[in-house]
Amino acid sequence: MSAGYIDELHEAFQSDLVYRSEDIPLECSPRPKEMEQTLHGVMKLNGLIIRSLEEIAGRGANAVTYRAGKKFGHEVAKYFQKREDVEGALHELSDLLRGQYSFEVWKPEDKETFIIEENGETFIYLVFHDCIVRQTLRRNGLDQGGPLCQTLFGYVVGAIEEITGRKAKLEIVHTGPNACLKKLVLK
Amino acid sequence: MEIHVDKDACVGCGLCVKDCPMHVYELQNSVSVAVRPNNCMGCLSCHEICPAQALEHRGIYAARRHYIDIKVCEMLRKVV
Repeated sequence: MSAGYIDELHEAFQSDLVYRSEDIPLECSPRPKEMEQTLHGVMKLNGLIIRSLEEIAGRGANAVTYRAGKKFGHEVAKYFQKREDVEGALHELSDLLRGQYSFEVWKPEDKETFIIEENGETFIYLVFHDCIVRQTLRRNGLDQGGPLCQTLFGYVVGAIEEITGRKAKLEIVHTGPNACLKKLVLK
Repeated sequence: MEIHVDKDACVGCGLCVKDCPMHVYELQNSVSVAVRPNNCMGCLSCHEICPAQALEHRGIYAARRHYIDIKVCEMLRKVV
């Protein structure tokens, strides 16, 4: 490695900027457009971690990622107002997830209400439109519905449990490139 | 939601009928017909599996696509 190259490298990391410990950055740096490489790097890394976890832990990978998501859901939602109605909780949740996921409550044409009771189960259909998990999986050519999706399941369940105090479960009904249909089963 | 099936392009394979969890499509005279378009939640998996690319959805929310690499797109634009 030549000395000129090392000097050039050092120069790239030097500036006249004065940065005090109490300085708080007021804007995202660098600009989002310049962060595309970072985003793709993070997506690639996440995909590889999940793939390796699945190879080593097999079906146990789902339990690990679900647990991680659930903890995250509980952690984030504990600062939100507690409420008993699930619809209100879902509204809070959509605020909570904004920027990472966007979802809506959904019902088939023949159902009258969003809260559906069928075969002794009470559930709500959720259609997830924007989803960082789906982006990561498609970036890495991985199947949808695997361990990384379990993090989202855990997240939603953890947040719903934290906000409403009710136990819940999220099931995949269908996955697609543009949206996924999930069933939030209430207990 | 409006779903249009190109009858000339559709090969009647029935993949969309099998794949759709909400039974939006039915095969009629060996051509797929969107019989319950209001039951469509816009997942677009039918688009992904249709070998004839005969489907068109209107009034759909297009989810963000972060996974598309801008640099690859720039290269493709130069070629296509």
